[in-house]
Amino acid sequence: MTKLENMLVTLDPRDENDHGPALLAPRAPTLNGKTLGLLSNNKPHSEELLRMIAAIMKELYDIKDTVEYNKGSHQWPANSEDLKEFAAKCDVAIHATAE
Amino acid sequence: MTSHNMASHRHQFASWEQSQEYYVETNLTDGLPIVPPSEDRVCAMLEFAGLPPDQVIGVEVIRQKHITAEKVAINAVMAGCRPEYFPVVVSAVAACCERSFNLHASSTSTNGVTVLVLVSGVYAQKIGMNSSTGVMGPSNRANATIGRAVNLVKTNFYGSVPQEMDNSTFGHPGKYSFCFAENLDAGNWPSLTVDKGFDGSSSTVTVVAAYSPLQVSVYGGKDPGSFLAGTAHAMIGLGPSTSEVLVVLSPEVMQYVNDAGWSRRQVQEFLWGKAQLPAREWIAWRRVEHPEDFTDPDRLVGCVADPDRITVVAAGGAAGVYIDVIGSWGNSRPVTRKIEIRS
Repeated sequence: MTKLENMLVTLDPRDENDHGPALLAPRAPTLNGKTLGLLSNNKPHSEELLRMIAAIMKELYDIKDTVEYNKGSHQWPANSEDLKEFAAKCDVAIHATAE
Repeated sequence: MTSHNMASHRHQFASWEQSQEYYVETNLTDGLPIVPPSEDRVCAMLEFAGLPPDQVIGVEVIRQKHITAEKVAINAVMAGCRPEYFPVVVSAVAACCERSFNLHASSTSTNGVTVLVLVSGVYAQKIGMNSSTGVMGPSNRANATIGRAVNLVKTNFYGSVPQEMDNSTFGHPGKYSFCFAENLDAGNWPSLTVDKGFDGSSSTVTVVAAYSPLQVSVYGGKDPGSFLAGTAHAMIGLGPSTSEVLVVLSPEVMQYVNDAGWSRRQVQEFLWGKAQLPAREWIAWRRVEHPEDFTDPDRLVGCVADPDRITVVAAGGAAGVYIDVIGSWGNSRPVTRKIEIRS
């Protein structure tokens, strides 16, 4: 057994701040009658992918409507004001990356 | 040595070997052995720079990570830095946190991107950095460990760990380390520090979200108007939406440029003007993400938007007529910061 005074003690290089858990948004109890938001990151074909998914979801659920928003760049987060406006227009949203 | 109140968690090991295994197994290294970050070693870093452990060096804008001097120092020790290298590491990390650098996206992208650390000014010489033969290669402790320290901060503290948050398809050899110094003895231009608007007695660090370097052999005589065309051709290989390009001239090339009386600005403007193609050619070569954005197929489109987006420096060994071209990722802009040295 190594004596305590002979132990090698080192410091941890990681971020040890508690940022809290990354939480999922509350799930909608049903998609029936809901407006579906399609949030594109402007990658090629991302809008096509979202519309394909929306078409499938419309077959499976009674989706009331769809709204689309393209955040303009996959390299930056969406503009917070635009995102609020988008969120106000839909009940649930899906986001996509594509190429 | 002044005692610092370190906030970081302590790990205890019975041997050096045991500490190495822990840091490798917990994904806290780049795969190479590290210098165990003991409190004494970390203190020596902070002491040299005159920084308290809780001083915030920078706040990354997307994930709002507050990077403290203590954490930067721990990673600098692990990388093998000497205390006198620490001010360079601190300035480089602070530069990475500026919004225009876009650390988050560049360090998580599927592209192969690393943080290139370019040091300009007398401090590079003072700490023994290599600016000459083999400048981008191994063997110099300062070059190797400063670049490694910045990458370890990015992975260990920020969380951009390969195969996890870092989703780079190919990776990049410079994710181990990519750091070098400007060769101040080559040519008669002002240093990059002065060119970026800092006082000539200062030293600076410039960080670049760098793709792999592309080395261009220079043929066709000593006229810059002739041989720089090949460099512009290499720039075209980077594509039309390149944010910025770092062009590194070998000292022999620098001599040709000086003999012809060309300024840095002339080189920037020449390369910008030559590295252009009509939109239809970029589209034909499949180098455009959104071809529908180009409504005029005959419009000339540059590799970069303007000459200011080309940074030109001299570095490398005396023998060899080469130019290195290094593109920067996505919308990331290189950031230059003064190195704060306690007198």
